[in-house]
Amino acid sequence: MSNKESEFNPSIEKGFLYGLSQSLTIAIGYAPVAITFGILATQFGLTFWEAGLMSFFVYAGASQFIAIEMIHQGATPLIIGVTTLIVNIRHFLMSLSVVPFFPERTLPWSLGLAQGLTDESFVLNTKVLKDVEGEENRRRVMLGINSGAFVTWVSLTILGGLIGKWLPVQFSGFQFALLALFIILTTMSLTRKNYMTYLVAAVLAVVLKLLIPGKIYLIISVILAAGIGAWWRGWKGSHRVGSNSQKSS
Amino acid sequence: MSFQLLETILLMTIVTYGSRVLPFLLFKGENIKGFARDFIELVPIALLAALVVPELVTPNGTIVIIKNPFLWAGILTFLFSRFVPNLFLGILFGMTVFWGLDKLLL
Repeated sequence: MSNKESEFNPSIEKGFLYGLSQSLTIAIGYAPVAITFGILATQFGLTFWEAGLMSFFVYAGASQFIAIEMIHQGATPLIIGVTTLIVNIRHFLMSLSVVPFFPERTLPWSLGLAQGLTDESFVLNTKVLKDVEGEENRRRVMLGINSGAFVTWVSLTILGGLIGKWLPVQFSGFQFALLALFIILTTMSLTRKNYMTYLVAAVLAVVLKLLIPGKIYLIISVILAAGIGAWWRGWKGSHRVGSNSQKSS
Repeated sequence: MSFQLLETILLMTIVTYGSRVLPFLLFKGENIKGFARDFIELVPIALLAALVVPELVTPNGTIVIIKNPFLWAGILTFLFSRFVPNLFLGILFGMTVFWGLDKLLL
């Protein structure tokens, strides 16, 4: 074992640049997704700067992919807006659990730090901020992490858009690209705890799509399935009797 | 830029930024529990089902099983990504298989 002096010294001040350097891991993860988004957005009829604007203002990967798929399917802005709300309401939970790091926050810091909260930055911030002393430093570290991730997302969206714009061939496979992306996300997020909700939503969505014109079936089936799933979890929780050995993953 | 797209981006921005900023403005840091938390947690997986499955099963408004490249490409992409959990490779695989099946089943 090496001696203690060679270990990391926690008293070093951590600030914006430390956060920025930490954001590199997110940037590596965002790069292919942002470029893919840019390419697909232009393949689905947006210009590269419209794709860039969407990344700049909305800055929420999954819902942006969903939006260009829905625009392609002819959904109205209102339906897309409501769908985005139910997709991104999860940020509310993440935001709630980040807030205790900043009890003395001012309004500009609140407005700024909230802007950069994504799934990935949330996970990284939660991990990193625990080891940062002092609220001032934590704010700067989070700002650094968020800035690195945000700049990567927006600039590489535009790059992807430019690539997509100059792609010479109209490859028919592109119309399947977004569905493939969603299918892969499904395999990554299906668990024993949520697959029933998936099946309920799938059946409801198919039936309602055949019955109701327009895209409203998306919202109804998601709300019903998530509601049934949440109710089921609560019911199971209150009826769990005795021998609970928590073997399931 | 079309007005529709502008409206779409504006609405998306309001609801997304709203979800992110409200806790910063309103809370000291409580936790949501129970039904609301379960509901919010289950929305993404339900939405993935609602977005994908109808497009695979009813590409033209009616249920098609055999001559349906969407369905078969979807199933194959699902199986592929179970073994190769890589976003980029999975998309490439899905697009290629769809393109092939689309030619084959035409």
